[in-house]
Amino acid sequence: MSVHIKTIHPMKYMRDFLARNIRPDGRKLSEVRPTAINVGSISTADGSALVKIGNTVVICGIKAELTVPNAENPNEGFVIPNVELPPLCSPQFKSGPPGETAQVSSQFLADILVNSKCVDLQSLCIMPDKLAWVLYCDLICLDHDGSVLDACVAALVSALCTVTLPEVKFDAITKNKTVELEKRRPLTLTCFPFASTFATFDENSILADPSEEEESLCSGTISIVTSGDSLYSVHKPGGCQLSENRLSECISKAQKRSLTLRGMVEKSMESIKS
Amino acid sequence: MAGLQLLSEYGLRVDGRRPNELRQIRCKMGVFSQPDGSAYLEQGNTKVLAAVYGPHEVRLNRSKTHHDRAYINCQFSMAVFSTSERKRRPRGDRKSQEMDMNLNQIFESAIRTELYPRSRIDIYLEVLQADGSNFSACVNAATLALIDAGIPLKDYVCSCTSTLAPSQGGAPPTPMVDVNHVEETLGGPGLSMSTLPRLDSVVHLELSGTRLHLSHIDPVAEKAATGAADIMAVLDKAVRGHVAQCLHAREVSGQGADA
Repeated sequence: MSVHIKTIHPMKYMRDFLARNIRPDGRKLSEVRPTAINVGSISTADGSALVKIGNTVVICGIKAELTVPNAENPNEGFVIPNVELPPLCSPQFKSGPPGETAQVSSQFLADILVNSKCVDLQSLCIMPDKLAWVLYCDLICLDHDGSVLDACVAALVSALCTVTLPEVKFDAITKNKTVELEKRRPLTLTCFPFASTFATFDENSILADPSEEEESLCSGTISIVTSGDSLYSVHKPGGCQLSENRLSECISKAQKRSLTLRGMVEKSMESIKS
Repeated sequence: MAGLQLLSEYGLRVDGRRPNELRQIRCKMGVFSQPDGSAYLEQGNTKVLAAVYGPHEVRLNRSKTHHDRAYINCQFSMAVFSTSERKRRPRGDRKSQEMDMNLNQIFESAIRTELYPRSRIDIYLEVLQADGSNFSACVNAATLALIDAGIPLKDYVCSCTSTLAPSQGGAPPTPMVDVNHVEETLGGPGLSMSTLPRLDSVVHLELSGTRLHLSHIDPVAEKAATGAADIMAVLDKAVRGHVAQCLHAREVSGQGADA
Protein backbone atom coordinates (compact mmCIF):
# COMPACT_ATOMS: atom_id res chain seq x y z
CA MET A 1 0.00 0.00 0.00
CA SER A 2 2.79 2.39 0.93
CA VAL A 3 4.40 1.67 -2.44
CA HIS A 4 1.26 2.93 -4.20
CA ILE A 5 1.09 6.17 -2.20
CA LYS A 6 4.76 6.74 -3.02
CA THR A 7 4.03 6.51 -6.75
CA ILE A 8 0.82 8.58 -6.80
CA HIS A 9 1.55 11.26 -4.18
CA PRO A 10 5.32 11.40 -3.79
CA MET A 11 5.24 14.78 -2.04
CA LYS A 12 2.63 13.69 0.51
CA TYR A 13 4.60 10.51 1.14
CA MET A 14 7.72 12.58 1.80
CA ARG A 15 5.92 15.15 3.97
CA ASP A 16 4.36 12.47 6.14
CA PHE A 17 7.82 11.15 6.94
CA LEU A 18 9.35 14.57 7.54
CA ALA A 19 6.52 15.48 9.92
CA ARG A 20 7.90 12.74 12.17
CA ASN A 21 11.49 13.91 11.68
CA ILE A 22 12.58 10.87 9.76
CA ARG A 23 13.28 10.08 6.11
CA PRO A 24 11.78 7.30 3.96
CA ASP A 25 14.97 5.24 4.12
CA GLY A 26 15.00 5.43 7.91
CA ARG A 27 17.71 8.04 8.35
CA LYS A 28 17.44 11.08 10.62
CA LEU A 29 17.43 14.43 8.85
CA SER A 30 21.12 15.12 9.36
CA GLU A 31 22.40 11.58 9.00
CA VAL A 32 24.65 10.75 6.07
CA ARG A 33 24.75 7.39 4.33
CA PRO A 34 27.56 4.90 4.99
CA THR A 35 30.64 5.87 3.00
CA ALA A 36 33.41 3.62 1.70
CA ILE A 37 36.64 4.69 0.00
CA ASN A 38 38.91 2.32 -1.90
CA VAL A 39 42.16 3.55 -3.46
CA GLY A 40 44.60 2.24 -6.02
CA SER A 41 42.38 -0.36 -7.69
CA ILE A 42 43.14 0.55 -11.31
CA SER A 43 46.74 -0.33 -12.05
CA THR A 44 46.77 1.17 -15.57
CA ALA A 45 46.09 4.62 -14.09
CA ASP A 46 48.70 6.66 -12.23
CA GLY A 47 46.26 7.21 -9.38
CA SER A 48 42.75 5.90 -8.79
CA ALA A 49 40.02 5.84 -6.19
CA LEU A 50 36.50 4.46 -5.85
CA VAL A 51 34.03 6.19 -3.52
CA LYS A 52 30.69 4.74 -2.46
CA ILE A 53 28.22 6.95 -0.57
CA GLY A 54 25.14 4.82 0.09
CA ASN A 55 24.31 3.55 -3.41
CA THR A 56 26.12 6.33 -5.29
CA VAL A 57 29.39 5.06 -6.76
CA VAL A 58 32.01 7.22 -8.47
CA ILE A 59 35.38 6.03 -9.75
CA CYS A 60 38.25 8.41 -10.52
CA GLY A 61 41.29 7.55 -12.62
CA ILE A 62 44.22 9.91 -13.08
CA LYS A 63 46.63 9.71 -15.99
CA ALA A 64 49.73 11.90 -16.10
CA GLU A 65 51.13 13.12 -19.41
CA LEU A 66 53.87 15.54 -20.39
CA THR A 67 53.12 18.81 -22.10
CA VAL A 68 54.38 22.34 -22.66
CA PRO A 69 53.20 24.92 -20.11
CA ASN A 70 51.07 27.92 -21.05
CA ALA A 71 52.82 31.12 -21.96
CA GLU A 72 50.87 33.04 -19.25
CA ASN A 73 51.87 30.59 -16.50
CA PRO A 74 55.23 29.16 -17.53
CA ASN A 75 55.99 27.51 -14.16
CA GLU A 76 52.73 25.71 -13.75
CA GLY A 77 51.44 22.31 -14.76
CA PHE A 78 47.77 21.46 -15.24
CA VAL A 79 45.12 19.41 -13.46
CA ILE A 80 42.10 18.80 -15.69
CA PRO A 81 39.03 17.13 -14.15
CA ASN A 82 36.32 15.61 -16.31
CA VAL A 83 33.09 14.10 -15.01
CA GLU A 84 31.20 11.53 -17.04
CA LEU A 85 27.61 10.60 -16.28
CA PRO A 86 27.08 7.63 -18.60
CA PRO A 87 23.66 6.09 -19.28
CA LEU A 88 24.71 3.09 -17.22
CA CYS A 89 24.49 5.05 -13.99
CA SER A 90 20.88 6.13 -14.27
CA PRO A 91 17.94 5.96 -16.68
CA GLN A 92 17.80 9.76 -16.82
CA PHE A 93 21.02 10.05 -18.88
CA LYS A 94 21.28 9.31 -22.58
CA SER A 95 24.37 8.33 -24.52
CA GLY A 96 26.08 11.02 -26.55
CA PRO A 97 28.17 14.09 -25.80
CA PRO A 98 28.39 15.23 -22.15
CA GLY A 99 25.11 16.72 -20.97
CA GLU A 100 24.57 19.82 -18.87
CA THR A 101 24.87 18.09 -15.50
CA ALA A 102 28.18 16.49 -16.42
CA GLN A 103 29.65 19.74 -17.74
CA VAL A 104 28.51 21.70 -14.68
CA SER A 105 30.03 19.06 -12.38
CA SER A 106 33.34 19.15 -14.29
CA GLN A 107 33.48 22.94 -13.99
CA PHE A 108 32.57 22.73 -10.29
CA LEU A 109 35.52 20.41 -9.67
CA ALA A 110 37.86 22.63 -11.69
CA ASP A 111 36.78 25.64 -9.62
CA ILE A 112 37.40 23.77 -6.36
CA LEU A 113 40.90 22.83 -7.48
CA VAL A 114 41.66 26.46 -8.30
CA ASN A 115 40.06 27.90 -5.14
CA SER A 116 41.62 25.47 -2.73
CA LYS A 117 45.01 25.24 -4.45
CA CYS A 118 45.11 21.70 -3.16
CA VAL A 119 47.61 20.70 -5.82
CA ASP A 120 50.59 23.03 -6.06
CA LEU A 121 50.74 23.56 -9.81
CA GLN A 122 54.35 24.69 -9.62
CA SER A 123 55.37 21.28 -8.30
CA LEU A 124 54.04 19.84 -11.56
CA CYS A 125 56.43 21.91 -13.63
CA ILE A 126 59.63 20.12 -14.66
CA MET A 127 61.30 22.91 -16.58
CA PRO A 128 59.67 26.38 -16.79
CA ASP A 129 58.32 27.19 -20.22
CA LYS A 130 59.45 23.84 -21.63
CA LEU A 131 57.99 20.82 -19.85
CA ALA A 132 55.31 20.20 -17.28
CA TRP A 133 52.95 17.48 -16.11
CA VAL A 134 49.28 17.53 -16.95
CA LEU A 135 47.08 15.35 -14.74
CA TYR A 136 43.92 14.24 -16.52
CA CYS A 137 41.43 13.30 -13.80
CA ASP A 138 38.56 11.33 -15.27
CA LEU A 139 35.61 10.59 -13.05
CA ILE A 140 32.93 8.14 -14.06
CA CYS A 141 29.72 7.86 -12.08
CA LEU A 142 28.78 4.18 -12.01
CA ASP A 143 25.58 4.43 -9.99
CA HIS A 144 23.62 7.65 -9.47
CA ASP A 145 21.66 7.78 -6.23
CA GLY A 146 22.00 11.43 -5.25
CA SER A 147 24.88 13.52 -3.87
CA VAL A 148 27.05 12.82 -6.90
CA LEU A 149 29.07 15.99 -6.28
CA ASP A 150 30.06 14.76 -2.83
CA ALA A 151 31.25 11.45 -4.24
CA CYS A 152 33.09 13.18 -7.12
CA VAL A 153 35.03 15.53 -4.88
CA ALA A 154 35.92 12.71 -2.48
CA ALA A 155 37.03 10.46 -5.35
CA LEU A 156 39.12 13.24 -6.90
CA VAL A 157 40.90 14.08 -3.65
CA SER A 158 41.50 10.41 -2.77
CA ALA A 159 42.86 9.65 -6.24
CA LEU A 160 45.17 12.69 -6.11
CA CYS A 161 46.57 11.32 -2.85
CA THR A 162 47.61 8.13 -4.60
CA VAL A 163 49.26 9.72 -7.65
CA THR A 164 52.99 9.03 -8.02
CA LEU A 165 54.94 10.80 -10.74
CA PRO A 166 58.11 9.36 -12.29
CA GLU A 167 61.35 11.34 -12.34
CA VAL A 168 61.91 13.20 -15.59
CA LYS A 169 65.22 14.63 -16.73
CA PHE A 170 65.01 17.22 -19.46
CA ASP A 171 67.98 18.48 -21.35
CA ALA A 172 67.13 21.98 -22.63
CA ILE A 173 69.78 21.97 -25.30
CA THR A 174 69.12 18.64 -26.98
CA LYS A 175 65.38 18.72 -26.02
CA ASN A 176 65.81 15.15 -24.83
CA LYS A 177 63.50 13.80 -22.16
CA THR A 178 64.37 10.74 -20.11
CA VAL A 179 61.60 9.34 -17.98
CA GLU A 180 62.58 6.97 -15.21
CA LEU A 181 59.45 4.95 -14.57
CA GLU A 182 60.89 3.15 -11.56
CA LYS A 183 61.71 6.20 -9.46
CA ARG A 184 58.40 7.67 -8.43
CA ARG A 185 57.65 10.50 -6.07
CA PRO A 186 54.19 10.95 -4.60
CA LEU A 187 52.17 14.07 -5.20
CA THR A 188 51.70 16.18 -2.05
CA LEU A 189 48.40 17.92 -1.47
CA THR A 190 48.24 21.15 0.51
CA CYS A 191 44.68 20.56 1.71
CA PHE A 192 41.85 18.04 1.50
CA PRO A 193 38.58 19.64 0.41
CA PHE A 194 35.41 17.57 0.67
CA ALA A 195 31.89 18.44 -0.41
CA SER A 196 28.64 17.98 1.49
CA THR A 197 25.30 18.37 -0.20
CA PHE A 198 22.09 19.32 1.60
CA ALA A 199 18.57 19.39 0.17
CA THR A 200 16.05 21.98 1.33
CA PHE A 201 12.48 20.88 1.56
CA ASP A 202 9.46 23.11 2.11
CA GLU A 203 11.60 25.86 3.72
CA ASN A 204 11.60 23.95 7.00
CA SER A 205 13.60 20.79 6.65
CA ILE A 206 17.19 20.45 5.57
CA LEU A 207 18.21 16.93 4.61
CA ALA A 208 21.88 16.01 4.62
CA ASP A 209 23.21 13.76 1.84
CA PRO A 210 19.98 13.45 -0.20
CA SER A 211 19.29 10.32 -2.21
CA GLU A 212 18.09 10.49 -5.81
CA GLU A 213 14.37 10.45 -4.97
CA GLU A 214 14.85 13.11 -2.30
CA GLU A 215 16.79 15.28 -4.75
CA SER A 216 14.00 15.03 -7.31
CA LEU A 217 11.35 16.14 -4.77
CA CYS A 218 13.26 18.86 -2.95
CA SER A 219 12.94 22.56 -3.67
CA GLY A 220 16.68 23.20 -3.85
CA THR A 221 20.09 21.87 -2.98
CA ILE A 222 23.19 23.46 -1.54
CA SER A 223 26.71 22.04 -1.78
CA ILE A 224 29.40 23.21 0.61
CA VAL A 225 33.05 22.42 0.02
CA THR A 226 35.26 22.69 3.04
CA SER A 227 38.22 21.12 4.76
CA GLY A 228 38.37 21.17 8.55
CA ASP A 229 39.15 24.85 8.92
CA SER A 230 38.64 26.57 5.57
CA LEU A 231 35.62 27.08 3.38
CA TYR A 232 36.30 26.74 -0.34
CA SER A 233 32.98 26.89 -2.08
CA VAL A 234 29.28 27.26 -1.48
CA HIS A 235 27.14 26.26 -4.45
CA LYS A 236 23.48 27.06 -4.19
CA PRO A 237 21.85 27.03 -7.62
CA GLY A 238 18.55 28.81 -6.95
CA GLY A 239 16.12 26.93 -4.77
CA CYS A 240 14.18 28.27 -1.82
CA GLN A 241 15.47 30.84 0.67
CA LEU A 242 17.80 29.79 3.42
CA SER A 243 18.29 31.88 6.56
CA GLU A 244 21.79 32.72 7.76
CA ASN A 245 21.41 30.52 10.84
CA ARG A 246 20.52 27.53 8.71
CA LEU A 247 23.42 28.23 6.41
CA SER A 248 25.91 28.33 9.31
CA GLU A 249 24.46 25.08 10.63
CA CYS A 250 25.05 23.46 7.26
CA ILE A 251 28.59 24.78 7.08
CA SER A 252 29.51 23.38 10.49
CA LYS A 253 27.97 19.99 9.61
CA ALA A 254 29.96 20.04 6.37
CA GLN A 255 33.17 20.75 8.26
CA LYS A 256 32.63 17.81 10.62
CA ARG A 257 31.91 15.54 7.68
CA SER A 258 35.02 16.60 5.81
CA LEU A 259 37.16 15.72 8.83
CA THR A 260 35.60 12.25 8.97
CA LEU A 261 36.17 11.77 5.26
CA ARG A 262 39.76 12.90 5.57
CA GLY A 263 40.29 10.26 8.26
CA MET A 264 38.86 7.63 5.94
CA VAL A 265 41.13 8.64 3.07
CA GLU A 266 44.18 8.50 5.30
CA LYS A 267 43.19 5.08 6.58
CA SER A 268 42.80 3.70 3.06
CA MET A 269 46.18 5.18 2.09
CA GLU A 270 47.76 3.34 5.04
CA SER A 271 46.16 0.09 3.96
CA ILE A 272 47.73 0.21 0.51
CA LYS A 273 51.13 1.16 1.84
CA SER A 274 51.25 -1.86 4.14
CA MET B 1 60.16 -6.16 -26.90
CA ALA B 2 62.67 -8.21 -28.87
CA GLY B 3 63.35 -11.60 -27.44
CA LEU B 4 60.10 -11.82 -25.43
CA GLN B 5 58.70 -15.22 -26.18
CA LEU B 6 55.06 -16.03 -25.83
CA LEU B 7 55.92 -19.52 -24.68
CA SER B 8 59.08 -20.23 -22.71
CA GLU B 9 61.07 -23.43 -23.05
CA TYR B 10 59.29 -24.80 -19.96
CA GLY B 11 55.95 -24.33 -21.68
CA LEU B 12 54.95 -21.30 -19.59
CA ARG B 13 53.41 -18.12 -20.93
CA VAL B 14 54.47 -14.56 -20.10
CA ASP B 15 52.29 -14.50 -16.98
CA GLY B 16 53.21 -18.01 -15.85
CA ARG B 17 50.15 -19.84 -17.13
CA ARG B 18 50.06 -23.01 -19.20
CA PRO B 19 48.65 -22.76 -22.75
CA ASN B 20 45.24 -24.16 -21.82
CA GLU B 21 44.81 -22.30 -18.52
CA LEU B 22 42.28 -19.51 -18.11
CA ARG B 23 43.01 -16.45 -15.96
CA GLN B 24 41.33 -16.16 -12.60
CA ILE B 25 37.73 -15.04 -13.01
CA ARG B 26 35.98 -13.12 -10.23
CA CYS B 27 32.45 -11.93 -10.70
CA LYS B 28 29.67 -10.33 -8.73
CA MET B 29 26.05 -9.78 -9.72
CA GLY B 30 23.63 -7.10 -8.60
CA VAL B 31 26.31 -4.55 -7.79
CA PHE B 32 24.33 -1.39 -8.59
CA SER B 33 20.94 -0.10 -7.50
CA GLN B 34 19.80 1.97 -10.51
CA PRO B 35 20.01 -0.54 -13.40
CA ASP B 36 17.59 -3.46 -13.62
CA GLY B 37 20.51 -5.85 -13.80
CA SER B 38 24.22 -5.32 -13.24
CA ALA B 39 27.39 -7.36 -12.98
CA TYR B 40 31.10 -6.85 -12.37
CA LEU B 41 33.57 -9.29 -13.90
CA GLU B 42 37.34 -9.61 -13.61
CA GLN B 43 39.28 -11.87 -15.96
CA GLY B 44 42.81 -11.63 -14.64
CA ASN B 45 43.50 -7.88 -14.69
CA THR B 46 40.74 -7.02 -17.16
CA LYS B 47 37.92 -5.39 -15.17
CA VAL B 48 34.52 -4.91 -16.79
CA LEU B 49 31.15 -3.59 -15.61
CA ALA B 50 27.84 -4.35 -17.26
CA ALA B 51 24.48 -2.67 -16.63
CA VAL B 52 21.15 -3.67 -18.18
CA TYR B 53 18.05 -1.48 -18.35
CA GLY B 54 14.90 -3.07 -19.59
CA PRO B 55 12.78 -4.29 -21.06
CA HIS B 56 11.20 -0.84 -21.30
CA GLU B 57 9.27 1.37 -23.67
CA VAL B 58 11.01 2.77 -26.74
CA ARG B 59 10.96 6.55 -26.24
CA LEU B 60 12.88 8.46 -28.86
CA ASN B 61 13.38 6.50 -32.07
CA ARG B 62 9.97 5.00 -32.61
CA SER B 63 11.18 3.87 -36.01
CA LYS B 64 13.43 1.34 -34.28
CA THR B 65 10.49 -0.47 -32.66
CA HIS B 66 9.91 -3.99 -33.92
CA HIS B 67 6.31 -5.15 -33.77
CA ASP B 68 7.21 -8.72 -32.93
CA ARG B 69 10.38 -8.55 -30.83
CA ALA B 70 12.49 -6.39 -28.55
CA TYR B 71 15.06 -3.94 -29.84
CA ILE B 72 18.49 -4.51 -28.29
CA ASN B 73 20.89 -1.62 -27.84
CA CYS B 74 24.44 -2.32 -26.66
CA GLN B 75 27.00 0.31 -25.88
CA PHE B 76 30.62 -0.59 -25.36
CA SER B 77 32.80 2.01 -23.69
CA MET B 78 36.37 1.94 -22.40
CA ALA B 79 37.22 4.21 -19.50
CA VAL B 80 39.77 6.83 -20.41
CA PHE B 81 42.18 5.48 -17.80
CA SER B 82 41.71 1.82 -18.71
CA THR B 83 44.67 1.49 -21.05
CA SER B 84 48.32 2.29 -20.43
CA GLU B 85 48.10 5.21 -22.87
CA ARG B 86 45.21 7.55 -22.06
CA LYS B 87 42.36 6.72 -24.41
CA ARG B 88 41.17 9.82 -26.22
CA ARG B 89 37.74 8.62 -27.38
CA PRO B 90 36.03 6.24 -24.98
CA ARG B 91 33.23 5.51 -27.44
CA GLY B 92 32.04 6.56 -30.86
CA ASP B 93 35.20 5.70 -32.73
CA ARG B 94 35.05 3.04 -35.41
CA LYS B 95 36.41 0.18 -33.34
CA SER B 96 33.86 0.80 -30.57
CA GLN B 97 31.03 1.08 -33.07
CA GLU B 98 32.06 -2.22 -34.60
CA MET B 99 32.04 -3.80 -31.13
CA ASP B 100 28.61 -2.28 -30.44
CA MET B 101 27.29 -3.87 -33.60
CA ASN B 102 28.83 -7.26 -32.77
CA LEU B 103 27.37 -7.17 -29.29
CA ASN B 104 23.95 -6.22 -30.65
CA GLN B 105 23.99 -9.19 -32.97
CA ILE B 106 25.24 -11.62 -30.32
CA PHE B 107 22.54 -10.69 -27.85
CA GLU B 108 19.80 -10.48 -30.43
CA SER B 109 20.40 -14.15 -31.10
CA ALA B 110 20.75 -15.12 -27.44
CA ILE B 111 17.92 -13.19 -25.79
CA ARG B 112 14.36 -14.47 -26.23
CA THR B 113 13.34 -11.22 -27.86
CA GLU B 114 10.02 -12.58 -29.12
CA LEU B 115 8.73 -12.32 -25.54
CA TYR B 116 8.96 -8.51 -25.50
CA PRO B 117 7.51 -6.99 -28.68
CA ARG B 118 7.76 -3.22 -29.07
CA SER B 119 10.20 -2.88 -26.19
CA ARG B 120 13.83 -2.02 -25.79
CA ILE B 121 16.62 -3.59 -23.79
CA ASP B 122 19.75 -1.47 -23.17
CA ILE B 123 23.05 -3.10 -22.29
CA TYR B 124 25.88 -0.78 -21.21
CA LEU B 125 29.42 -2.03 -20.82
CA GLU B 126 32.29 -0.16 -19.25
CA VAL B 127 35.85 -1.46 -19.29
CA LEU B 128 37.63 -0.09 -16.22
CA GLN B 129 40.97 -1.77 -16.83
CA ALA B 130 41.97 -3.36 -20.13
CA ASP B 131 44.42 -6.25 -20.01
CA GLY B 132 43.49 -8.31 -23.07
CA SER B 133 40.32 -10.21 -24.11
CA ASN B 134 38.28 -7.05 -23.46
CA PHE B 135 35.50 -8.03 -25.85
CA SER B 136 35.21 -11.53 -24.40
CA ALA B 137 35.09 -10.21 -20.84
CA CYS B 138 32.35 -7.77 -21.90
CA VAL B 139 30.21 -10.54 -23.38
CA ASN B 140 30.59 -12.62 -20.21
CA ALA B 141 29.73 -9.65 -17.98
CA ALA B 142 26.72 -8.77 -20.12
CA THR B 143 25.40 -12.35 -19.80
CA LEU B 144 25.57 -12.10 -16.02
CA ALA B 145 23.89 -8.69 -16.02
CA LEU B 146 21.06 -9.99 -18.24
CA ILE B 147 20.54 -12.91 -15.88
CA ASP B 148 20.51 -10.48 -12.94
CA ALA B 149 17.86 -8.42 -14.74
CA GLY B 150 15.72 -11.53 -15.18
CA ILE B 151 15.69 -11.37 -18.98
CA PRO B 152 15.20 -14.86 -20.46
CA LEU B 153 18.14 -16.16 -22.48
CA LYS B 154 18.40 -19.24 -24.67
CA ASP B 155 21.65 -20.15 -22.92
CA TYR B 156 24.67 -18.55 -21.27
CA VAL B 157 26.70 -16.58 -23.81
CA CYS B 158 30.33 -17.32 -23.06
CA SER B 159 33.22 -15.82 -24.91
CA CYS B 160 36.92 -16.53 -25.08
CA THR B 161 39.86 -15.33 -27.16
CA SER B 162 42.63 -17.67 -28.20
CA THR B 163 45.85 -17.25 -30.13
CA LEU B 164 48.63 -19.30 -31.65
CA ALA B 165 52.16 -19.13 -30.29
CA PRO B 166 54.67 -19.40 -33.15
CA SER B 167 56.60 -22.62 -33.39
CA GLN B 168 59.93 -22.59 -31.67
CA GLY B 169 62.72 -25.12 -31.64
CA GLY B 170 60.99 -27.44 -34.09
CA ALA B 171 57.89 -27.88 -31.91
CA PRO B 172 54.56 -27.27 -33.70
CA PRO B 173 52.82 -23.95 -32.96
CA THR B 174 50.78 -24.15 -29.75
CA PRO B 175 47.30 -22.68 -29.42
CA MET B 176 46.81 -20.69 -26.19
CA VAL B 177 43.55 -19.74 -24.52
CA ASP B 178 42.46 -16.44 -22.86
CA VAL B 179 45.00 -13.94 -24.11
CA ASN B 180 46.25 -11.03 -22.05
CA HIS B 181 47.39 -7.62 -23.32
CA VAL B 182 50.99 -8.62 -24.01
CA GLU B 183 49.96 -11.67 -26.04
CA GLU B 184 47.39 -9.61 -27.97
CA THR B 185 49.79 -6.88 -28.98
CA LEU B 186 52.77 -9.07 -29.79
CA GLY B 187 51.28 -9.65 -33.20
CA GLY B 188 49.88 -13.15 -33.33
CA PRO B 189 46.42 -14.02 -34.62
CA GLY B 190 43.57 -13.53 -32.15
CA LEU B 191 40.46 -15.66 -32.53
CA SER B 192 37.53 -14.38 -30.50
CA MET B 193 34.65 -16.80 -30.18
CA SER B 194 31.30 -16.43 -28.40
CA THR B 195 29.25 -19.57 -27.97
CA LEU B 196 26.08 -20.90 -26.42
CA PRO B 197 27.89 -23.85 -24.77
CA ARG B 198 24.96 -26.09 -23.90
CA LEU B 199 23.37 -25.67 -27.31
CA ASP B 200 26.80 -26.25 -28.83
CA SER B 201 26.45 -23.26 -31.15
CA VAL B 202 28.69 -20.38 -32.09
CA VAL B 203 27.08 -16.92 -32.11
CA HIS B 204 30.14 -14.85 -32.96
CA LEU B 205 33.56 -15.56 -34.39
CA GLU B 206 36.19 -12.99 -35.22
CA LEU B 207 39.79 -13.36 -36.33
CA SER B 208 42.06 -10.36 -35.93
CA GLY B 209 45.79 -9.73 -35.93
CA THR B 210 47.92 -11.68 -38.38
CA ARG B 211 46.82 -14.42 -40.71
CA LEU B 212 46.20 -17.97 -39.62
CA HIS B 213 47.03 -20.97 -41.77
CA LEU B 214 43.97 -23.13 -42.53
CA SER B 215 45.50 -26.18 -40.91
CA HIS B 216 45.74 -24.29 -37.62
CA ILE B 217 42.19 -23.00 -37.54
CA ASP B 218 40.70 -26.14 -36.00
CA PRO B 219 42.99 -26.43 -32.97
CA VAL B 220 42.74 -22.69 -32.20
CA ALA B 221 38.95 -22.64 -32.57
CA GLU B 222 38.63 -25.76 -30.46
CA LYS B 223 40.75 -24.14 -27.74
CA ALA B 224 38.48 -21.10 -27.75
CA ALA B 225 35.34 -23.26 -27.60
CA THR B 226 36.72 -25.29 -24.67
CA GLY B 227 37.71 -22.05 -22.96
CA ALA B 228 34.17 -20.73 -23.37
CA ALA B 229 32.72 -23.94 -21.92
CA ASP B 230 35.06 -23.65 -18.92
CA ILE B 231 33.99 -20.05 -18.45
CA MET B 232 30.36 -21.19 -18.49
CA ALA B 233 31.08 -23.42 -15.49
CA VAL B 234 32.43 -20.41 -13.59
CA LEU B 235 29.49 -18.16 -14.55
CA ASP B 236 26.96 -20.86 -13.70
CA LYS B 237 28.46 -21.31 -10.26
CA ALA B 238 28.35 -17.54 -9.68
CA VAL B 239 24.71 -17.30 -10.75
CA ARG B 240 23.62 -20.17 -8.53
CA GLY B 241 25.54 -18.70 -5.60
CA HIS B 242 23.93 -15.29 -6.13
CA VAL B 243 20.42 -16.72 -6.35
CA ALA B 244 20.96 -18.80 -3.19
CA GLN B 245 22.12 -15.66 -1.40
CA CYS B 246 19.07 -13.67 -2.57
CA LEU B 247 16.68 -16.40 -1.46
CA HIS B 248 18.38 -16.61 1.90
CA ALA B 249 18.14 -12.84 2.36
CA ARG B 250 14.44 -12.94 1.53
CA GLU B 251 13.79 -15.72 4.01
CA VAL B 252 15.68 -13.93 6.73
CA SER B 253 13.76 -10.69 6.21
CA GLY B 254 10.50 -12.63 6.35
CA GLN B 255 9.20 -11.72 2.91
CA GLY B 256 7.02 -14.32 1.28
CA ALA B 257 5.66 -13.94 -2.25
CA ASP B 258 5.54 -10.18 -2.66
CA ALA B 259 2.77 -8.32 -4.51
